[in-house]
Amino acid sequence: MKLKVMMAVCVCKMTRTLIRLLGRGATNMPGRAAQKICPDLLKYLAADVTTIIVTGTNGKTTTSRMLEQTLKDSGVDFFCNKSGANLLNGVTTEFAVNASLTGKPKHPYALIESDEAAFKLIGKYTDPKCVLVTNVFRDQLDRYGEITHTLNNIKIGLENSPHAAVCLNADCSLTASLKESIPNEIIFYGVNGPIYKERVREASDAPYCIHCKHEYTYEYITFGHLGKYHCDNCGYSRPEPDIAVSRTIVSDATHSEIEIDVRGTKYQATIDLPGGYNIYNGVAAVTVADTLGLSVDTAIGALRTFECGFGRMEKFMLGDTQTRMILIKNPAGCNQVLNFLGNISEDSLFVVCLNDNYADGTDISWIWDVDFEVLSKVGDRLTGILVSGIRADDMAMRFKYAGIPAEKIKVIKDYEKLIDEFTSQEAPVYIMPTYTAMMDLRAIVSKKYGYKNFWE
Amino acid sequence: MQSGRQMSTADTARTGMSLNICHLYPDILNLYGDNGNIICMKQRLQWRGIDCSVSGLSVGDRLNAADYDIFFIGGGQDFEQDVLLDDAEKNKKADILSAIDDEKVFLAICGGYQILGNYYRTWDGQQMDFMGCIDISTEGVKERMIGNYMFTCDDLGGETIVGFENHSGKTYLGSGVKPIGRVLAGYGNNGEDGTEGAHYKNVYASYSHGSMLPKNPKFCDLLLSRALEKKYGRVVLEELDDVFENNAHDYMQKRLSSR
Repeated sequence: MKLKVMMAVCVCKMTRTLIRLLGRGATNMPGRAAQKICPDLLKYLAADVTTIIVTGTNGKTTTSRMLEQTLKDSGVDFFCNKSGANLLNGVTTEFAVNASLTGKPKHPYALIESDEAAFKLIGKYTDPKCVLVTNVFRDQLDRYGEITHTLNNIKIGLENSPHAAVCLNADCSLTASLKESIPNEIIFYGVNGPIYKERVREASDAPYCIHCKHEYTYEYITFGHLGKYHCDNCGYSRPEPDIAVSRTIVSDATHSEIEIDVRGTKYQATIDLPGGYNIYNGVAAVTVADTLGLSVDTAIGALRTFECGFGRMEKFMLGDTQTRMILIKNPAGCNQVLNFLGNISEDSLFVVCLNDNYADGTDISWIWDVDFEVLSKVGDRLTGILVSGIRADDMAMRFKYAGIPAEKIKVIKDYEKLIDEFTSQEAPVYIMPTYTAMMDLRAIVSKKYGYKNFWE
Repeated sequence: MQSGRQMSTADTARTGMSLNICHLYPDILNLYGDNGNIICMKQRLQWRGIDCSVSGLSVGDRLNAADYDIFFIGGGQDFEQDVLLDDAEKNKKADILSAIDDEKVFLAICGGYQILGNYYRTWDGQQMDFMGCIDISTEGVKERMIGNYMFTCDDLGGETIVGFENHSGKTYLGSGVKPIGRVLAGYGNNGEDGTEGAHYKNVYASYSHGSMLPKNPKFCDLLLSRALEKKYGRVVLEELDDVFENNAHDYMQKRLSSR
């Protein structure tokens, strides 16, 4: 057994070095190669590592980056899986790379972002100390089939994590219901009141009680199906959170200022990213930090200084053009991006890149569940929309039907030409790509402008 | 690139015509972007100066079919289906049957398609009785039929419809029901007999998400023409500049043809 582990680790490290030498990312293939030799390699590599897992539909990467900063500032010796390699192959690769040739861990702690379906095995093999479930939204229904399947996958992962303290989003009726299926210690977090004065029109992914299927009533909704829900029929309702945002003081196009109540003690916090969804990510990160016994002050400080994961609103200059890249994946996430983009105060150019590869979700119907109509209300402040990616034609058509004047919509499928086009004008640029489009764009931008490669 | 016509609010009523759309169960059967069909119909009417209202009717609402010209039912997840089946039987079925008989236009997608039919039988033999408004029935199987697909539209002289299917039910058409067309790529109704969708009187039902109508503008216009004809007598719909729609359609048609 020991020999198999050593060989697998060796293969993994060699494969990764080779692929990196060729200038590619190498996040999943090394793990896949290693598992051919030792299929449950992760179990061996994780045995002496204390693992923290972050899973859920939206917010995994941003919350992980917040936690990464917190762990760094707290002096914890850890490693994490960057660049969104959150399937079994990617996680296995990360553990192997952070182990010696004999499979001994180089760092005692691991912060792991896990895909919801992959969590079933990742939980089983790593036996985590703490698991965070951010939320459950519709996403990649071509992979998951239905929202209840996503929830079920997470439930199985939690059943496979008997020693974990589990942090759950109280405001998500689907996530909160997980409490009933597991004997683990549960810590709830949430937001104690509405965030937006006005919200985009959006469908709820969970309008009916998960237990008795009666329609929920809400005292308030923060967005989507999140809020203070109650079922008048069976009484299932939002549990009281242990840690909650007690006040939203400011939430604008660049950041939020909030008050967080941690078991009775109030803290002021600044979150360096805009949007209600990042408020949830912030309070989630503080909850995990508190559960791990880290300093709440340190966790709160990290919300202001952390480096957001690539494509999660990262800001960079391309020549003289101010650019922000924001990953879009599903209606809920995209609607939240629009919640604040619909309120921009200066003339801006939007770029949307829609791919339909496996990692993006092969069914692009979801773009019709996003309230792009709010962009037509932005009026002249929206100087134009450039559309790219494999399914650019569908995306351009969506904007036409959303009421954007046809002359403002331009399809440019070639990424070099696309970048030339938006860097040759002066307005700030917001780029919204799906996952694989983001990877492609990032690679080209890195080469052209010498930005650090995404795996660093 | 040619620009589409921008309609001013004064234009929207210039023809004096209007269509009322009934969106059934918009809060439950709304999982796969099917709302795009409503957006498409409404825009294509308003761009032609035809007024359009959309009313959502869900569980507990009584349906008065005479108020509407077009009915739309989308797809959803199994979890919520039985919430609405009881309501469909009690509050909707009678009016739906009379509207179908009266040749009102229906568009039903995926789950909506299935519940208009006779029943759904799961792979382990359990049968759920549905509304029985059109003579089709569905057998559940374990493997899902998922992917981009393409089929002909017989009513459009064989023009192709491109969409995305995602279903584990195999639907079979009864004797009085025609398919919308024949499958050119993908599975269609059941992956066996080469048919896709159902067409009965002015009911059109399909497994196509995408959404179905936006990049199949001729099919959308077919539905709108039928509804207008029923209400006002023969109507010739003004042609629209469909560059965006045709590009989106043709890209997928090319991609699916080269397999």
